[in-house]
Amino acid sequence: MPPTVDYHCPCLSRTTVPPPPHLPSSSHSFHALHTLFFCEECDAVRCNRCVSVEVSGYYCPNCLFEVPSASVRAEKNRCARNCFMCPNCRNTLSVVPSDPPDPGDGRLTIPISTIGEPPFFLYCNHCRWDSAEVGITFEKPTGLAAQLQKFEDSAPDSLEFERLKEHFEPVIRASSLSSSTSTAPAAHPSSAAHSHRRTNSITAAASAALARDIPGVSKYNPLARSGRGGSSKDKTANRDEMPEYRSRLDISSASSLGTGGGDADVDSMRHLENVSEVANLEQRWVNSWATSLQTADLKPLRIPLHSKRSKRCPACAHILIKPEQKAQSVRYKIKLVAANYLPAITAALPHQQEAANPDAVKRTLGKSTTVAADDDRATAGMHAGKTYPFHLALTNPLYDPIQVRLTVQRVHAPAPASGRASPEKARRPPFAVSLPSASFPIAAFAEAWEYEDDEDDDMFGLDDDDEFGIAGRVAGREKDTRGKIKTVGVLEKKANVTVVGGEVVIGKEARGNVKFNMLVSYTYRSDDPTPSESNDAEGTVSKAAASKPPETKTFAFYTVVDLGPIIPREEPRVESDF
Amino acid sequence: MDAPIFYSKTEFIETDTGNKVSRRATISGPQNIILGGKTIISSGAIIRGDLRRTGAGHAVVISLGRYCVVGEGCVMRPPYKTYRGNFNYYPMKVGDHVHIGANSVVEAATIGNHVEIGKNCVIGKFTIIKDCARVADNTIVPPNTVIPALALFVGSPGRFVEDLPESTQEIVETQTKRYYTRFQPLDR
Repeated sequence: MPPTVDYHCPCLSRTTVPPPPHLPSSSHSFHALHTLFFCEECDAVRCNRCVSVEVSGYYCPNCLFEVPSASVRAEKNRCARNCFMCPNCRNTLSVVPSDPPDPGDGRLTIPISTIGEPPFFLYCNHCRWDSAEVGITFEKPTGLAAQLQKFEDSAPDSLEFERLKEHFEPVIRASSLSSSTSTAPAAHPSSAAHSHRRTNSITAAASAALARDIPGVSKYNPLARSGRGGSSKDKTANRDEMPEYRSRLDISSASSLGTGGGDADVDSMRHLENVSEVANLEQRWVNSWATSLQTADLKPLRIPLHSKRSKRCPACAHILIKPEQKAQSVRYKIKLVAANYLPAITAALPHQQEAANPDAVKRTLGKSTTVAADDDRATAGMHAGKTYPFHLALTNPLYDPIQVRLTVQRVHAPAPASGRASPEKARRPPFAVSLPSASFPIAAFAEAWEYEDDEDDDMFGLDDDDEFGIAGRVAGREKDTRGKIKTVGVLEKKANVTVVGGEVVIGKEARGNVKFNMLVSYTYRSDDPTPSESNDAEGTVSKAAASKPPETKTFAFYTVVDLGPIIPREEPRVESDF
Repeated sequence: MDAPIFYSKTEFIETDTGNKVSRRATISGPQNIILGGKTIISSGAIIRGDLRRTGAGHAVVISLGRYCVVGEGCVMRPPYKTYRGNFNYYPMKVGDHVHIGANSVVEAATIGNHVEIGKNCVIGKFTIIKDCARVADNTIVPPNTVIPALALFVGSPGRFVEDLPESTQEIVETQTKRYYTRFQPLDR
């Protein structure tokens, strides 16, 4: 596996410092760069875990029909057209006509009707299930959902659900009224208030009921907190008014209606000949009611709708993602992704790439791939007790040049506060990472055609500053640096990509992965980047870096770099035996 | 940082528009196939441009966009059906920046832009794949399936698993372009 670099989103903790990388839980705080968002207002990274999400449109994933939100609830969040899912394998069902009547002379008849012969039924192309098996056929191949509607509406579970809705209707209306009045003046900036203002009445009713019935819950409930005085009166009133609910059916008599359970199941199990006669859990648990155990009773399912979502910053409610209205469009009206703000970092281990260089390919091109793969594994791993160089390539997405400084977070620095750290402290730090300590520049991002002429210019108009020392003046290409002792420092600058070298010294008893947290801080010009200025900017980088004009701004973020597993000491010997 | 992927110069034919077609690939009915440019057809791939609609005249059977890769051992075959008693093949259209993994069989009707199809997949007849969708390795997509935009499909039968990130388009675009630049000839 190639080395990975993930970015930290501080939403899970109070501090901006990420958890130590060797804890398994730390993976929850780190995300791939392309999944992150960036809020310009807050100047902060946001991830999918912390953004608040709202639905901006519904569509059927099969017929791609955009369902107006008004009819979504009436259609129970499912497609009300001709889309059905196989109850057996969840594939999309297609409508097929019956076989044409056999003329008797063995030849295929030419169908007269364009649509085929009735009755029509639903057929699964994958598992060959068909709806005729369960006794569902259609007169005509269009408007299937409408044809099935009457069966669905008369099903005991949907009748019961309707009754429940009717029963709770006044309660929901009352509590949504009270919640809307109580949260309307919620002008305070907490994220909870913002997100709750957009919740629907059912959620409001549910949380109100929770707050009322379970003591202590209301303390954590932003709804109750924001409007305690006003709404508590309504709630007590609701409780008194709510009449007792009586179900349509008694549960003891339900099994006779084909809902399964009781003697009917015992009887069918006794005569079971084939395991596949019993519907498995996955096939049954989407139903709101207990259903029959038998495969023969499975009904085609209407396809659940999908949604397009817009995303907001949890702190300032600024929109980060706003998709276009059209369901199948992949464009966005607003898209603030972190990849446009933070430098992209890719890590590589030069000794792993060795295999990919021309000589090696020449050697292996003729050989079978298995031999090459074996070679690869032996050379690619990192052995305990050795030192390996690694490369980090940083790509600047901004139209301004930036100055970057990398710092490795000391994981095993004594942490006296936590008792859990003691076994960690007993273990020696398994590896040490060295990175260039000075800051280094990355040129501005420019469109591809602007690079054409500069392709062969090593430094892209950047002078080699003394501050990088010897490392700054390495003769350009990594091929040359490979043989040299000097591996830490800036290795290559090309367009808006700068490659820096680091080194990892792995301890003799080391195990696990070479994985460390790295603080990346970069300085950029904070004034509004006017296009005319960004053009001549590349010439002035070194000057800007040296004089540090006051309008620069620094942004820092944490990353975790995973260079891959360490091969413990015993293993190399085993491998050489082969 | 980007190690080149080398191929033997004698194996591939490069066209004026930058398409690279392996001599070991089977291209039937090349007059019915359109390659958009900078598209790579790997060795062992089979593209059936000969399975054309009945009737006179010129017909495009398979069209591929720019920066596509048809993996090793892939089979691209236009979908067919019997409609009103007539057996016929129907054209297949593939958009730009589409990568198809090795040993996959594709009989889709349309594949959008920025689509990734993994290795060892079967894409059934008349499948419609919208933009920026992804089909994981070893997925079987049954005939007539519709894969919506930005969806990840996995399994047998292929099912929706999750929505892909909003920046999928950019990621796939840079990946496919990078793959093309990395794909370099090697003289032997």
